[in-house]
This record gives sequence, C-alpha cells and structure tokens, in this order.
Amino acid sequence: MFDFAAAPVPVREDLKTAYTTMWAHFARPGAVYDGAERRAILDHARSCDDRTPDTANLVPDRIAALARTLYCDPAAVDQALVRDAADRHGEAAAVEVISLVSMLSAVDGAHRALDVELEPLPDPISGPPTGRISPGLERRRTHVPMPQGAIPSALDLVPSEAFAFQESFGPQYMTGQEMAYSDFERSPGLNRAQMELVSSRTSLLNQCFY
Amino acid sequence: MLRESAIAYKYEIDLAAISDTSIPIGIPGGNLLLELVDVLHGVSDEALADIQSALIDRLGPEALVDAAAVFGNFQMMNRVAEGSGIPIPQQAIDRESDLVTKLGLLDLMKN
Repeated sequence: MFDFAAAPVPVREDLKTAYTTMWAHFARPGAVYDGAERRAILDHARSCDDRTPDTANLVPDRIAALARTLYCDPAAVDQALVRDAADRHGEAAAVEVISLVSMLSAVDGAHRALDVELEPLPDPISGPPTGRISPGLERRRTHVPMPQGAIPSALDLVPSEAFAFQESFGPQYMTGQEMAYSDFERSPGLNRAQMELVSSRTSLLNQCFY
Repeated sequence: MLRESAIAYKYEIDLAAISDTSIPIGIPGGNLLLELVDVLHGVSDEALADIQSALIDRLGPEALVDAAAVFGNFQMMNRVAEGSGIPIPQQAIDRESDLVTKLGLLDLMKN
C-alpha cells in the first residue's frame, strides 16, 4: 500500500505514513457511519463519471450527492446541498462526509500529480458507529456547527474526523509550529513561498476564496 | 501568506501571476509550479510528464513530491472550506483588499 513504485521520483516516508494513516481511519467505524458505509461514501465520491457504485444501496441519496459533488465539483457545493444532507441525516453525518471526501481528495490529488494509479479504497473494519460527537457547537453563518476559529477547527463537531484532518497537515504541507515561520523550507524540497504558490493557484482554480 | 513568505526570501513577486500565469511570478521555478497545477486542473494542454521533468530538472526530485503533497493538501482544505461554509473574516478581506481586487476574488464569495 502506498509504495509509489510507479512514481517518477522517490516519495517521502512521512507522506506515505500520513496516507496509510488516513486509509486506516477511513476503514474504521466513524461517529455516524460504520466502516462499510464509509467505504460506500468514498466509492460515491470517486464516481465522477456518474457510474453507480456497487455499494450504492448503503448511502442515502442526499449523502451520496454531497460526497460526489464535493469530490468532483467543489465549487458547486453550497449551503443548500450541505443542509439537505444535514437536515435529513444529522449535522454529524454531514461533517463526517465532508471529512472523508476532503481527505480522499488530498490523497488522490497527490497521486494524480505524481501520475500514479489511485490507491484502492480500504476494506472496512466491522463494528458499530462510535456516536462520539462534540456537544454544544452551533452553526454561526456556517453550513455545519463548528467553533469560532480558523479552518483547522472546521470539523471539530466530530472529534475523530477533526483529529485525522489536523494530523495530516504536517507531512502534506506544514505543522502548526512550522506555519509560524515565513521562511520555512523543506531541505531538499520546496520553500514556503513555493508551497504557497501551489496552494494559491490550486485554491483559485477550485474557485475557493479561503 | 504568499506575500509574507516572498518577503522572507527577498523575492520580488508579481501576484498577478496567480491568475495570469503568463506573467513571471518571480519565485524560482514558480511558473513551473503554476503550470503543474494548471495541468492537474485541466486548464493547460501541456503533458504532465513534461512538467514533472522540467520541475525535477529545475528544483530537484523532492520538489515534485512536495508540490504533489501541497496540491493534495489544498484539494482537501478547499473542500473543507466549501463543505463547512467557514466564513472569511472581514478584516482578512480588508487587509488583502488589493490582492482581492487584483485576482477577482470577490466573485468567489458566493456561499
């Protein structure tokens, strides 16, 4: 898994570990969905060609629509789409989908940039959903409940998703500590200005202001 | 953040290159990095293998891995932003008003 044998260059071990950790997270039961349902959500996300995944019957239509739109056409995601899913299936369900699909987009995006085949999705681990959801959070001009603060806290309603999301920053980009340094650089590798250039153009083409 | 990091490295950059990639950005290998993102988004007809080779020659093999990782990271961050609907603080918009205007970013604040 994640050997990147076909990549044109060797891939850092910490990045391979980060992706392997995400895959293990995908396979485990989440707060709302069990492992098989999470796998089905990810199958839907990857079905941009409108094929119907074999696991389609495990995912309600509104959840499938959110997963697929977020993965395939993120600029088309709006409050109505998210609220359709959240109002019908719960706030935590919507947050779990946003988390899974966003992290899948990270791993798949890097694979496309390295021109290697996408990693097959992991086999689900059996067990019931955990039900662990943070109490007391509210929507504040946002699509889903979250605390005040920057984007790293956007998934805090579901602690296991928030943790997996935040843990992935360092190997892919910078840790929170590294973010404090405008002259951070990977040596050998890109410096921060070069990394910010990639992030800026990516966000612009995704039509994402943030 | 790009502006601050460019200052830290004493690069004289033209931020307009983020929206018009025909403009030299003023960062070593910068226009190749922009081209890589454009190829991945399907807005450039260049061959991915050609851009990868050029990046490796210019910045080294580790740079290609870093670029792929950052590209992936922001595929994730952009989706979390769109999905959660996290608002942009008005003070951030005001602070970067020249950049917001130059890149036409107000058009993106649709949600």
